[in-house]
Amino acid sequence: MKKNLRWLIVLLFIALFPATLGRISPYYNTVLILVGIYVILAVSLDLLIGFAGQISVGHAAFFALGAYTSGILTAKHGLSPSIALLAGLFVSGFVAWGIGRAVLRLKGYYLAMATLGLNAVVVKLITGFASVTGGASGLLNIPPFQIFGLTLQDHTHYYYFVWGIAILVILACLGLAQSPFGSALIAIHSDEEAASTLGIDCPKYKLHVFVISSMLAGVAGSLFAHFMGFIAPDDFDIFTSILVLVMLFLGGVGTIYGAALGAAFLKLLPEVTYRFQNYELFFHGIILVLVLIFMPRGLLGILTDAKNRLLGSGHLLNPPPSGKELQPS
Amino acid sequence: MIDRSVLLQFLFSGITLGSVYALIAISLVIVYNVSRVLCFAQGEFFVFGALTMIALTALGIPMWIGFLFTIILVSGLGVVIERLLIRPVQNSSVGTVITMTVAISLCLRGLGLLVWGREAHTLPAFTKSKALSIFGAYLSVQVLWIIAAAAIVLIIIWLFFEKTLLGMSMRACAENRLGASLVGINVWKTTLFAWAWGAALGALAGVVIAPLIFVRYISGTMPMLKGFTAIAIGGLTTVGSVIAGFLLGIMEAYTIGLISSEFADAIVFSVLILVLLGRSYGILGKAEDGGM
Repeated sequence: MKKNLRWLIVLLFIALFPATLGRISPYYNTVLILVGIYVILAVSLDLLIGFAGQISVGHAAFFALGAYTSGILTAKHGLSPSIALLAGLFVSGFVAWGIGRAVLRLKGYYLAMATLGLNAVVVKLITGFASVTGGASGLLNIPPFQIFGLTLQDHTHYYYFVWGIAILVILACLGLAQSPFGSALIAIHSDEEAASTLGIDCPKYKLHVFVISSMLAGVAGSLFAHFMGFIAPDDFDIFTSILVLVMLFLGGVGTIYGAALGAAFLKLLPEVTYRFQNYELFFHGIILVLVLIFMPRGLLGILTDAKNRLLGSGHLLNPPPSGKELQPS
Repeated sequence: MIDRSVLLQFLFSGITLGSVYALIAISLVIVYNVSRVLCFAQGEFFVFGALTMIALTALGIPMWIGFLFTIILVSGLGVVIERLLIRPVQNSSVGTVITMTVAISLCLRGLGLLVWGREAHTLPAFTKSKALSIFGAYLSVQVLWIIAAAAIVLIIIWLFFEKTLLGMSMRACAENRLGASLVGINVWKTTLFAWAWGAALGALAGVVIAPLIFVRYISGTMPMLKGFTAIAIGGLTTVGSVIAGFLLGIMEAYTIGLISSEFADAIVFSVLILVLLGRSYGILGKAEDGGM
């Protein structure tokens, strides 16, 4: 009950933000829309890494596929954005499905290298096929999003739309994580051989979670394209993939909430550190190093510990629901 | 029909690229084999090597002193990083270790930005002499330096691993860390040495190529990715990745020259994926556990 109340407060804050603080400076609405898009990316990556234990350093490849599919179909072929979004989702999922079975046979660093390579290939192809994608100088004039004949005109509209989808994605991922599907993923994560002896079809489950995770990244890409109105290959390079990975491990892996928290933290951090200008990058590195060494459970871990200490309730009194506190082995 | 001298020209630039890729690949492999960590900050050692050397040369310090100082400085950096940052997460998941090396990469980039700014820097050639002409193809003297440096270093590495006790203990650690510690090898000391080697070789790659390219604080990504490609093709072995590094460089040069400069990188990285996939199906050697 208390827990629901807490989330109600968070939701209320998100819902009321544009009417209160956001009105003071519309700039913050823009920042928070991007936070929402990155929340979708980080949460979807958590399904793959935190639950299934499959390391991907190429999530931005699917972000790119969603964004460019949606962008090209609307800007160059005049399709309606909502259909383009579905197309983006489909293309991301289809590519993931096509390469997933083979790629996911790889483990650990080999998988990391293959996904990294995939990201590099996608970005280089986008840059290379300039006649279709606009090349290195980017794709211009992507129309704003429309849904049921309504055009999202200003940032407040986008804010609610993006956060509505982000919250749906969080809920869907939580649901998946707690379903039998999620349990199977956790089993694969802890010991793939043991999982297959229990009769879990590991390749199938890994492929499914990869496709789901990639489709969600595609949705994030489509939202990004329509919100920005302009996309360039740089938005989707390896650095973006790494950024999402960092968000995930910063917030706390395998918890869904942690991924969302990490995304919000890392996207909002520059708003605080930008005044240090050239020191910004260095600070980000240091913060991340400190979190990884001293707080292996990430920011969410710190929050839970702090709460337990304040309210005096130990872990034994409040056992976490199975799977939510899962740490990668 | 393409002129033979042009083809030779591509071969020269391929060997140049290949030397650099081979050095980066072997630096990645030494670190990986001994410590089971694939370092995503390896590109930063490349950049730090190049930029330190450029800065020292600009101060008027003789090049060979600057060279020695740069290599020692960067390998010291590698040691500090291993001891302070990698060791605390050594036993965590692959994801945590990768994220840690990414964090280190961000720190080093941040540091590079503070020290060298956003501008691109370059180094004068090691020796000032005219390019040689061989069968109508031009070969700059710097290229000879690069190839010579790579060859000498590869021989030194071979001697080190085959003939010295420390080298052999590093190989023992690569084979089996627990077994190595049981026969009395100090695994942590050996790991430190591996990082010193790794950082030094990364820096060396940066130093020798610096006269031919412009280096910025963010220039490390592409060389690192090429290094990854080489070690993936070479199957995470020292000899394999050196050969793969040279092949990759030559392939890239011919792709740029004969097929398309726009798609050269896309083709190179497609090769990376295809090789890995081949490996996953047991073609091209066994599908190893990849460090899980």
